[in-house]
Amino acid sequence: MPTTSLTHDLNHNHTLLVGIGNNGRGDDGLGWSLIDKLEKSGLYRGDTIFRYQLQVEDAEVISHYKTVIFVDACRTLLEDGFDVQICKPALSFAFSTHEIPPESILHLCQDLYRKSPQALLLLIEGKDWSLNMGLSKEGSANFDKAWNYLNTEFL
Amino acid sequence: MTNKVIIDPVTRVEGHGRVTVHLDDEGAVKDAFFHIVEFRGFERFIQGHPYWEAPMLVQRLCGICPVSHHLAAAKAMDQIVGVDPSDLSPTTDKLRRLLHYGQVFQSHALHFFYLASPDLLFGLEAAKEQRNIVAVAIENKELARKGILMRKFGQRIIKAITGKRIHGIAAIPGGVHKTFSPAERAFFLNDEEIPGVQTMIDWSLEMVQFIKDYHSKNQDWLDSFAHYPSGHLGLVTKDGGMELYDGFMRAIDSEGEKTLDDIPNDTYIDYFNEGVEKWSYMKFPYIKELGIKKGWNRVGPLARLNVSEYISTPLANKELQEFKSYTGGYPNNSTMHSHWARLIETLHCAELMQELLIDDTVLGDDLMRQGERRPEGIGIIEAPRGTLIHHYRVDDDGKIVKCNLIVSTTHNNEAMNRAVRWVAKKVLDKQQEITDGMLNQIEIAIRAYDPCLSCATHAVGSMPLKVELFDHADNLIDTRFKS
Repeated sequence: MPTTSLTHDLNHNHTLLVGIGNNGRGDDGLGWSLIDKLEKSGLYRGDTIFRYQLQVEDAEVISHYKTVIFVDACRTLLEDGFDVQICKPALSFAFSTHEIPPESILHLCQDLYRKSPQALLLLIEGKDWSLNMGLSKEGSANFDKAWNYLNTEFL
Repeated sequence: MTNKVIIDPVTRVEGHGRVTVHLDDEGAVKDAFFHIVEFRGFERFIQGHPYWEAPMLVQRLCGICPVSHHLAAAKAMDQIVGVDPSDLSPTTDKLRRLLHYGQVFQSHALHFFYLASPDLLFGLEAAKEQRNIVAVAIENKELARKGILMRKFGQRIIKAITGKRIHGIAAIPGGVHKTFSPAERAFFLNDEEIPGVQTMIDWSLEMVQFIKDYHSKNQDWLDSFAHYPSGHLGLVTKDGGMELYDGFMRAIDSEGEKTLDDIPNDTYIDYFNEGVEKWSYMKFPYIKELGIKKGWNRVGPLARLNVSEYISTPLANKELQEFKSYTGGYPNNSTMHSHWARLIETLHCAELMQELLIDDTVLGDDLMRQGERRPEGIGIIEAPRGTLIHHYRVDDDGKIVKCNLIVSTTHNNEAMNRAVRWVAKKVLDKQQEITDGMLNQIEIAIRAYDPCLSCATHAVGSMPLKVELFDHADNLIDTRFKS
């Protein structure tokens, strides 16, 4: 079972799904693929955006929503092939701001716009990150598990 | 013994660059170079494609200024289908201009708020973890909020006209493929969904005041840092006004004497050559008549303000005259005044966007023109970073057989190298230890030009920065990496 739950009551028009990744990099496209499928299902009521990486201006974007769900591929082994985790604001300074973590975007949202949307991370375990379109066998299997969970619990 | 310092990558610029500083036995700086070390060959692989694909393909040169490449290529392709700039429909001309001004506005906002402001707010010796936009957002919330929304405004203009924030399509040979709707226009005029164009003008004016205040408190540093004489190049109107979309090429020397007297676009090839150096993939353009040593020019905001006698919009023109009076009417050769110049241009673009948004012509449906096919097309535009030249030849089947791109940053190649040498000699000379702050000063000088190294070399890859220190026998004695 995922660490926390994505429930039906979060499927509303004040929810934003943020797909992070790159579908030209194998399983890095897991987040985008899941959002594609959600959109095509016609059952999701909120908004969606696709990002290669999160940027400072995304703090302003998420400030307009009650709930934000970041959907991303991950390299870490996950017991069920996917996981849902609570995302809390936390500021991290790094040498490069080409990639800013969701926690920092939430922190900036709070700091700049005085808004604190409820935020969750939906992580899907990937295997292959090479330059190609399409998911690996393992990535596809984990994608299916995440999709089945969303279909049952969220949509 | 020669020592060499290497900075690799240069940070908070677009693309991948490297700096090497050569020292003698005493630790004195002998020379310094700004290298562009990757190669993409865009000019070659575009050959063989049908001409109408060029405005779409060349956008992939860059994720920051794709609109500039899109429009420069479209202007060249207009000529391939026999349409000169004056023959375009008024709606096409104005929609392309609106798109262009939105692009310059968002790019300048990106550079000032995201890339340059950490240097100004935190100083030369700030910790590297602090020198970024996240730290700026925490430290100066108002500046960050406005910066984010100004960039967003420009991006929304681009999206409204091209369909996408990045790599959309609007211009096609001889016209544009869609017009502007009243609802799209209202979105930018009303202060409802996003702050409207009047707010953009107000905020731009505040930013000009910000940089003037900053200048008054840091005058010595901003005036003297990487100050050196150079030529300046930019497009102007027939009567010498600033022109960003379509004008005549004017160049002046460091004293203000004209070295290129308002030449039409299609004659650029008669006046320019491009030099090469074995240590860089970026070329060195220069005015033929003056030769490679004297004929190089700066381009971009500082150069544009130097070559322009006036600006067509009132608020920006007032600022231009104040800017010019600071140097007594002579060309301004202070590298760090590029930031001041960039913010005056930001204000100009906001005013221009307002002029176009309230002009009903942008809602017109007369979008296309046609003429007699020609074999050659040249498109020249003032991109955010400076004069951008696209030159194509097309065969009878409509296939591109030659493509030459002289990108803004390429014009600034010699200027950036001079800036690196200036800082190296002032800061690194005979130093026992190289600190992060010293290296950052080299980057600050490069960053003032807002270089887009991906465009200029058409390079592929990431953008790390490396500084290497070599002794007089070319032995590497110290290296600093950032990646």
